[in-house]
Amino acid sequence: MKPLTSDFRAKAAETMVDEQVLQSLEHVYTGFFKGRLEAAGNTDNWEDLREKGKAIKDHTIAHLDYYLGQLADNVEKNGGSVFFAADAAEARKYVLDLAHARDIKTVIKSKSMVSEEMALAQALIDEGIEAVETDLGEYIIQLSGETPYHLIAPAVHKSRKEVAELLDDSYVDGNPVPDATELTMMAREKLRSVFERADMSVTGVNFAVAESGSIALVTNEGNGRMSTTVPRVHVAVMGMEKIVPSIQDLSTMLRILIRSATGQRISSYVTLVNGARKSDEEEGPEEFHLVILDNGRQKLLADEQMRESLNCIRCGACLNACPVYRKVGGHAYGWVYPGPIGAIVTPVLTGLKDASNLPAASSLCGACHDACPVKINIPRMLLELRYRTAEGKTDKQERTSSMRERTVWKAWRIGMMGRKRFDVGSRLSRLFLRPLAENGWLKKAPPPISGWTSTRDFPLISSSSLRSRLNKRSKKTKS
Amino acid sequence: MTSRAKFIANVTSSLGRTEVITPSSDDSTAAFDDAATARANAGRVMADTAARSVELTDTMAEAASTIGWKVHRVANPEDAADIVANICVQKGATSVLRSAHDILDEINVDAAVTSTGANLRVTEHSGDNNETKVNESKSAAFAADIGITGVDYAIAETGTVVLHPRSGLSRLVSLAPPTHIAVLRPGEILDSLDDLFAMERSDHMSGNLAGSMNLISGPSKTADIEGTTVTGIHGPLEVHLIILETD
Repeated sequence: MKPLTSDFRAKAAETMVDEQVLQSLEHVYTGFFKGRLEAAGNTDNWEDLREKGKAIKDHTIAHLDYYLGQLADNVEKNGGSVFFAADAAEARKYVLDLAHARDIKTVIKSKSMVSEEMALAQALIDEGIEAVETDLGEYIIQLSGETPYHLIAPAVHKSRKEVAELLDDSYVDGNPVPDATELTMMAREKLRSVFERADMSVTGVNFAVAESGSIALVTNEGNGRMSTTVPRVHVAVMGMEKIVPSIQDLSTMLRILIRSATGQRISSYVTLVNGARKSDEEEGPEEFHLVILDNGRQKLLADEQMRESLNCIRCGACLNACPVYRKVGGHAYGWVYPGPIGAIVTPVLTGLKDASNLPAASSLCGACHDACPVKINIPRMLLELRYRTAEGKTDKQERTSSMRERTVWKAWRIGMMGRKRFDVGSRLSRLFLRPLAENGWLKKAPPPISGWTSTRDFPLISSSSLRSRLNKRSKKTKS
Repeated sequence: MTSRAKFIANVTSSLGRTEVITPSSDDSTAAFDDAATARANAGRVMADTAARSVELTDTMAEAASTIGWKVHRVANPEDAADIVANICVQKGATSVLRSAHDILDEINVDAAVTSTGANLRVTEHSGDNNETKVNESKSAAFAADIGITGVDYAIAETGTVVLHPRSGLSRLVSLAPPTHIAVLRPGEILDSLDDLFAMERSDHMSGNLAGSMNLISGPSKTADIEGTTVTGIHGPLEVHLIILETD
């Protein structure tokens, strides 16, 4: 998928005045965010599980080269094929070549963010192959020609009426809008026949187990099960970080993933497959292929400040928790991964200079860090990326801070580093700012402070510091 | 250099190393437990399952009903058969598919189904899985009104039924028909996901890991339209759990 990260401001502004979309985004909060809190609250050892999940991921990523080799060996031992793709184009070509070689007519796709990175569905369609998204949300998005709005609820921004226009052939404007059940049953009908004729499936991978060569798929709808059962060729695509060492690690990972994603204790289906169907089975694919994608992830791995982002299990909890995501929506982020996690991986994965505004779209409130089931310190990385952009660390030409700004901050730093300097500095600022204040608040100020006061008031610096007040108080209590 | 070797060499160098280090042991993962430990863990799970079967059955029944299973606890095979027959009648089923689980013979499910006038098909392994056969069994599954299976395990923690598809146990019986009935015994109910994966790891370490596994927890669900939960998007709309509590 072609990144469009430069449009953040424009797209965010569009969303913020779209009442219907804002209302849909409330579902993200009331449904997923509160659901996760409740699920975590009802889990005795929730914090231990998070620690355990983090430890499993830390260990795996620290030995990713070893586990990638082990995974590939075991998939091959199970009779599957493994393809290592350096970028999205290589991965796409592998799948397209395979589809042609096997004379594939219809591909069913299960939800996969990696396949979005590959822009796979459209690539198949361009080659004359029918490619249908089977997750209901993804299917709706495919019909409307959009990109996913949310990691686990791709069509969360769509109203029932919009869905009816896409799904219900008999719907005309002005008719009563069918309810969610009726619309879902229409989709069931349409997709059933697609499942029946599909000869290839493409699924994502929630976890790949290195020691057994298994892949685990988590779905509520059952499309993951259809995909691993009906077509004669199954292709699973995964980012290189999606490994766990042992089958036994799955109990921890499934618990934290599912609770964090939807607030459920378990999703309707968890499917574990170890390659193609066995010789005595009547169903299941004849061939299994695993595509392991890099697509910029090496840059995250090599960068010690950013490596932790590879622990992400794509649950979407940070999106649901983010006050910015809930107002600007998923499309503003411009690429596959929206929200806080998108704001840190998109600039590095796409390498785009104009994606550097994504880390700025955060209040650094830390809600994403609290919500993350594997405790990824997203705010720390947001700050790191902001720092790099401001200082021109990645590209001197693209340094966003001006000489004046840097000088001001240098002076600020000096002022803040000594008690005397700090006291003198605050007294001086108060002296300069007092004439502009009304009742202790700056409401209108000249540039550059006007950037702040145009949208909010700034409190006038107090005449006495907290420290001097505390000193006075403690003297009083002593006497 | 193959694409695999190049890819992994890149990862090694991104990790700041010159060669792949084999991790020796780490507390975070069970990957370093040997086969004997895995077997001992599985043994503990089996003993625990047997010792706590009464309590686990209650927990299972409760967890299952909260996630959308219709739970039927019965004391003898005849009652189980009656429930199956009732569901067939209620659903107006004309074609029923069932797997080759022993427990279904034990409750004489075939007679129960055919007594309602429905057609019954058993997914028995024919020893011949050519394309015609595969397509035939696929069409039958998509056309069936009800699918009936036993289980390999159940998980009390989550209200989950676990199936290992294999010879005679089609993957589609529990997926394609709009109604699924699972029949299980108390002794098959494990305490938790931890127990299930401990059993799986033991199977893996002894080279007996099944080709695939499905954890089924209630009906197929989606909330993709305005956050409203609807059952039955791709899999069953209605799921029944019959717990056969004979001594």
